[in-house]
Amino acid sequence: MYEALLISLQLALVTSVILLVLALPLAWLLAFGAFRGRTLLEVVVALPLVLPPTVLGYFVLLLIAPDSMAGRLWQSWFDTSLAFSFPGMVIASLLYSLPFAVQPMQQALRAIPESWLEMARTQGLDTLRMLPRLILPAARNGILVAATLSFAHTMGEFGVVLMVGGSIPGETKVASIALFELVEMQHFDEAWRLALILLAISFVMLSLVYALNRRTPAVPG
Amino acid sequence: MMNHIRITGGPVSLRLDVVASFGRDARIVVSGHNGAGKTTLLRVLAGLTGAEGGIVINGSTWLDSDSGFSMPPEKRGLGCVWADTALLPWLNVRDNIVFGSGHVGGRHLKALATSLEVDMLMRREPAMLSGGEAQRVALARALFRQPDILLLDEPFSAQAPALRRRLRRALKNLQRQWMIPLIMVSHDADDARQLADVHWHMREGRLLASVDGGMPERKEQI
Repeated sequence: MYEALLISLQLALVTSVILLVLALPLAWLLAFGAFRGRTLLEVVVALPLVLPPTVLGYFVLLLIAPDSMAGRLWQSWFDTSLAFSFPGMVIASLLYSLPFAVQPMQQALRAIPESWLEMARTQGLDTLRMLPRLILPAARNGILVAATLSFAHTMGEFGVVLMVGGSIPGETKVASIALFELVEMQHFDEAWRLALILLAISFVMLSLVYALNRRTPAVPG
Repeated sequence: MMNHIRITGGPVSLRLDVVASFGRDARIVVSGHNGAGKTTLLRVLAGLTGAEGGIVINGSTWLDSDSGFSMPPEKRGLGCVWADTALLPWLNVRDNIVFGSGHVGGRHLKALATSLEVDMLMRREPAMLSGGEAQRVALARALFRQPDILLLDEPFSAQAPALRRRLRRALKNLQRQWMIPLIMVSHDADDARQLADVHWHMREGRLLASVDGGMPERKEQI
């Protein structure tokens, strides 16, 4: 049981850290970009919100199956299968939690007043130098919310990780699947404990999100 | 070296028609009614608003719409003050002043802060400043980077009259020392009288008159 919890925590941590890096340029593009296909990109990013997790899992499984291009490449580099492995679950989780990372970042970037961006440019900063000195500090809370939500959402995955990971004990069996199996085997004591732990983690994560959202600095008029 | 601007057309809402030349250390005060295009003219000069025409400052081309060239604002060496002071709330006054300059301060910062009367505010958060204080901090930020041109949109509007006089003097001293052009939008007749050596008047986007300031002996008194 604790083994499964540890795998869940690892998966959530790895996923949210990678998403921090991946989601920021995407959020930037969606917040400030004016290009054809912007709406399409926005829809694709948001798809995991409404798609049944098993559907997403099925497509990811096809993508990383041993006879797929990615699967073969992985096999030749690392000599293991990508499907039914921890890295395979990470890929699925990245897609599954993508909107939870992109959308708060996108909102935070859009909330930066135009006058601040113009001020920075007239003070001689190009976009790249604006990033550490203006954009990241101004959007800091939104970025932290993005990380927290991705973590919590990945902790709660079920269908996607079952499809892609296959619930191999000690490797790809995560807490939510372990809970299902405990109930199935009528081990209610353990199920009760695991459910409480997962509830507590979600509660703490969401409290953090709401505290961060409230602390978002007021923009002076 | 003379500076040249020829701006025809600006944003859709307001067609600019401004043709002017001015010296390398000209002090220009721009007046006109609300909506005459004064702020838009400054924004076009800063590169924040697109326009047709050509701008050549200090021998380098900033805008040449015929060839589709517009130098980005961050390369123009600007010192700007806008109506929105845009002080960053997570930085104290000192860090706001050095924002974007790439160097951290020292003697130059101290002298500047004293002359603009913000030296007592350096550790304060922007939220604790009055409107006039915030405006002086924004002016200090624009001047600290030793710009190649000053574009100021009513930079003293929130200051008390006595303080305005001292700020005008400080601004003029720096502008003379650096030999850079100063273009300032103002409704205040005293700004024009005490600061300007050229006076531009605008109406409905057009530069109507460019008048060289008279009475030099009187101007020297400030």
